[in-house]
Amino acid sequence: MKRYLTIFKNGLVRENPLLMLMIGLCSSLAVTTAAANGVGMGLSMTFVLLMSEIVISSFRKLIPDSIRIPVFIIVIAAFTTVIDYLLKAYFPDLSRAMGVFIPLIVVNCIIMGRVEGFASKRPIPEVIADALGMGLGYTWVLLGISMIRELLGNGTIFNIRIMPESYQPIIFFILSPGGFLVFALFISFNLFLKSRLKNGEEECK
Amino acid sequence: MKQMVRLGLILAAYATVACVGLAFVYTGTQQVITERQRADLEQSLKDLFPQGDQFKEITGAFSSSDPQVQFKNQYLILQGDEPLGVAVRAVGSSYGGPITVLVGVTREGTISGVKILENKDTPGLGANAANPSYFVDRRSGITFYGQFKGKSVQDKFQVKEDVVAITASTITSKAVTTVVKVASQAAYAWLTSEGGNTK
Repeated sequence: MKRYLTIFKNGLVRENPLLMLMIGLCSSLAVTTAAANGVGMGLSMTFVLLMSEIVISSFRKLIPDSIRIPVFIIVIAAFTTVIDYLLKAYFPDLSRAMGVFIPLIVVNCIIMGRVEGFASKRPIPEVIADALGMGLGYTWVLLGISMIRELLGNGTIFNIRIMPESYQPIIFFILSPGGFLVFALFISFNLFLKSRLKNGEEECK
Repeated sequence: MKQMVRLGLILAAYATVACVGLAFVYTGTQQVITERQRADLEQSLKDLFPQGDQFKEITGAFSSSDPQVQFKNQYLILQGDEPLGVAVRAVGSSYGGPITVLVGVTREGTISGVKILENKDTPGLGANAANPSYFVDRRSGITFYGQFKGKSVQDKFQVKEDVVAITASTITSKAVTTVVKVASQAAYAWLTSEGGNTK
């Protein structure tokens, strides 16, 4: 049990895909202009990651090494299309707001990286822990960044007005430079968290 | 050679399974998607023509005179058998890419309303074109897209003359105005020549 917990926690801070591995940044900076988009993207991504990792892990002995990348892409693309249809059918506003970034999950390097580096070599239970950890690690960062950007750049969070009416939105935060700034702050916060975690562990020993 | 065929078959098997799975999801969701799109469209048309009770797609009935502006869909709005006007879904080019605008024109040659459907311009600046709480005239509460309502198709449609621009977003303002102008003039010309008579 402890092993799964370790794998799960790995994705949250120590190997956070966005803040430590720094992959899949393009779409995450682009969609985090509103908190609802951040959550939607995070959960869509987690779904695709989880399903792809499970499928690939269960078929890992039936995938010849030389064609593994095309097979991975087929699996990931199938689940991405599923989530694209579901969003279009049941969350049309969210789907409109995220536009092309949902289909682009197919080529998101977080999924490719986890599938290639982890799921294709490990048994299913470990893979589930990894996918949930990575997915949640991705989602909390997106949620955090998008909440700050929406609050400062639009005066709202989840479209609910937080700042007083007289607040003049700082448009900078909605634009891409603001995204980079907030993202950089998150990286430093994560490094701080990581150093605290390490100290804690050493004390335990 | 043998190896190649084997790998090809394996790949084909994976692709087939994925396709079958997707086909099921597609049939399950497609109906909801098309229905929702239709409902969205009907709602937009209803906003432009509250009295309209029937919508007929007449895409291709007339065409744009400006290469910068494309007409995607055209609808004839009827009340009973009486045509009320035409709505055009037109695409022009703006600061951040294409901008999609729905323009409604009555038989009398006035604009019944303008809706910005899609706009990729800068949030807080150009994106205010579609913002219902951004007013070009604060006192009377007229929004940017709302100012077109009631204008005659014969008007000049010049930004900063008879159209109030969005602050710091002249390109967006001009793009929307051009689309409205081209679409409404073409629609009105069609309405007066043939569309108004066909039932």
